[in-house]
Amino acid sequence: MKKDEFYIGYIDNVPPKTKKKLKITVYILLIVVILFAIVFSLFQNKFKNSTFELTNISEITGTYHNNPYPSIRMELQPNEYKNVLLLGFGKFGAEKDIKNIENRLMSIEGQEVSIKGNLVYYNGKTLLQVADSDEFPVSKKESQLPERTINSLGEIEIEGEIIDPKCYFGVMKPGFGKIHRSCAVRCISGGIPPVFTTVNKEGISEYFMITDAKGNKINHDILEYVGQPVKVKGELEQLDNWFILKLNIEDIKLLKGNSKIYSN
Amino acid sequence: MGLNYQLVLWNKNKKVYDRYILLFVLLYLVLFWAITLITNRNTTLETLTIRSSGTLAILLLHIILSIGPLARINTKFLPLLYNRRHLGVTMFLIALIHGGFSIFQFHMLGDVNPIYSVFTSNLDYSSLHDFPFQVLGFIALLILFAMAATSHDFWLANLSAKTWKALHMLVYVAYALIVSHVFLGAFQQETSPYMPALIGIGFVILVILHITAGIKEVRKDRQTYKASDTDWKYVCEIDEIEEDRAKIFIVDNERIAIFKYENKLSAIHNVCKHQGGPLGEGKIVDGCITCPWHGYQYLPQNGQSPPPFTEKVATYHVKIEDNKVYVLPKALEEGTEVTPAIIK
Repeated sequence: MKKDEFYIGYIDNVPPKTKKKLKITVYILLIVVILFAIVFSLFQNKFKNSTFELTNISEITGTYHNNPYPSIRMELQPNEYKNVLLLGFGKFGAEKDIKNIENRLMSIEGQEVSIKGNLVYYNGKTLLQVADSDEFPVSKKESQLPERTINSLGEIEIEGEIIDPKCYFGVMKPGFGKIHRSCAVRCISGGIPPVFTTVNKEGISEYFMITDAKGNKINHDILEYVGQPVKVKGELEQLDNWFILKLNIEDIKLLKGNSKIYSN
Repeated sequence: MGLNYQLVLWNKNKKVYDRYILLFVLLYLVLFWAITLITNRNTTLETLTIRSSGTLAILLLHIILSIGPLARINTKFLPLLYNRRHLGVTMFLIALIHGGFSIFQFHMLGDVNPIYSVFTSNLDYSSLHDFPFQVLGFIALLILFAMAATSHDFWLANLSAKTWKALHMLVYVAYALIVSHVFLGAFQQETSPYMPALIGIGFVILVILHITAGIKEVRKDRQTYKASDTDWKYVCEIDEIEEDRAKIFIVDNERIAIFKYENKLSAIHNVCKHQGGPLGEGKIVDGCITCPWHGYQYLPQNGQSPPPFTEKVATYHVKIEDNKVYVLPKALEEGTEVTPAIIK
């Protein structure tokens, strides 16, 4: 007569046939766990080598400009300048920090200042999350740099995605696309400058600070277009190492499908 | 069966079960992190945490949903069912890490409340392609929380088994939300076909297991009888019931289990008071009908759990004539003493 096995959880001994079945099940589960771990880790999208120096405070010195967005202009070598975009803590622009600084030092527009903060950088672009703005910088002085020149490059129509540069250039990976869309909306809503990014036929990425048609800051009006593939039309300008795209909201068109930068 | 509620009534099998849960969870996380750090050095710890916990949670959910039908198809899988709630709570905690980190990463430190942001940062609710997938994950997490928080027997007793079961059946809603969350979110951006393929295979396996278990249940239920207060119903020959085991019959949509033991027959309602386990698939152990799911016990002659326990199920009159078994299909009050039919 065959043995009538019956498993009771609170009785220590597990019947032999049940035990055998469990052993096989554990081996199968082991294979499934390993398979899932390998597939999900090995085939996930690659990350960019962008950097956010979360634990490192740097100090940069240059001329402060509030427009189109708060930035520090630095001279890299004679007649070559770089604009470092300033950012606030979390998902905010640098306005609060600039206010803190100007409460102590009066207007710093066009003045040379040294700002402390965490650097964010990728693909030739640098940004700084301002730190210690209640105490630093302690002084300002006349800028030694020549006036900025903004070159008009005519009208342009391109496809790409509106991103928030803080996440895209280092804080988050990925800092673009559908997964990141909500965060980009929060960042731009909080005052971080919106940036348009596109990839040309050669696979080279380019970045454009976005303003309204008059060159003013634009944040809340473009939130519905952030983090999605769009086609934009506007006036192109160049300010040192940044392009500026001046556009009307009506000239942003949503596109279907994935943004080309997904393959970036 | 407990008199005083304790956080966990530990025993050897639960400890072994939990050790395997921990082993598999750690194995998955270590493998995921190691492979990512070796092949994808530019990752961030936040993204690594979000991805490893999210993918592990969905794997565990597939395993959890497989256990029920597997145990119905083959009783050798019942040990997996015994401590499934610990697996469920583990899955919730891992999903909470995924959800918590994601909300922190994508919605906190901004200009609005992070939960408000989950629901409003993307308002394309009418678009499938652009649908705000985080909302689906958030609702699934709330369901998993409700299930994990009420997984203890205290809630099972206080909510009633029916309400508790209905609440925990929401796991299928959570599964649908999570699969949609993944396909409308991460898989819109991930380019590898292997990940959606794995989840697709998981879905197909779950469907096959549930259909197979369902067919088996339907076959079990084929012996059905119309209820009557006065008519004895013939159900089977005595020899068709194995010693210390039962046969289950459906009478007026209620399952009755008729047990054979010590040359006697007794009939009780088939549904265990604990989690609705099938008592008729249990066995007489130490003179008590023992539920196959968690070992709850009842005396066959009166449907009462042996003192000091207090659970009771309905009993039925049963009789034997010419080796044929008859049952009077009117449920007696739960715990009613009924003289067993004697096998001569």
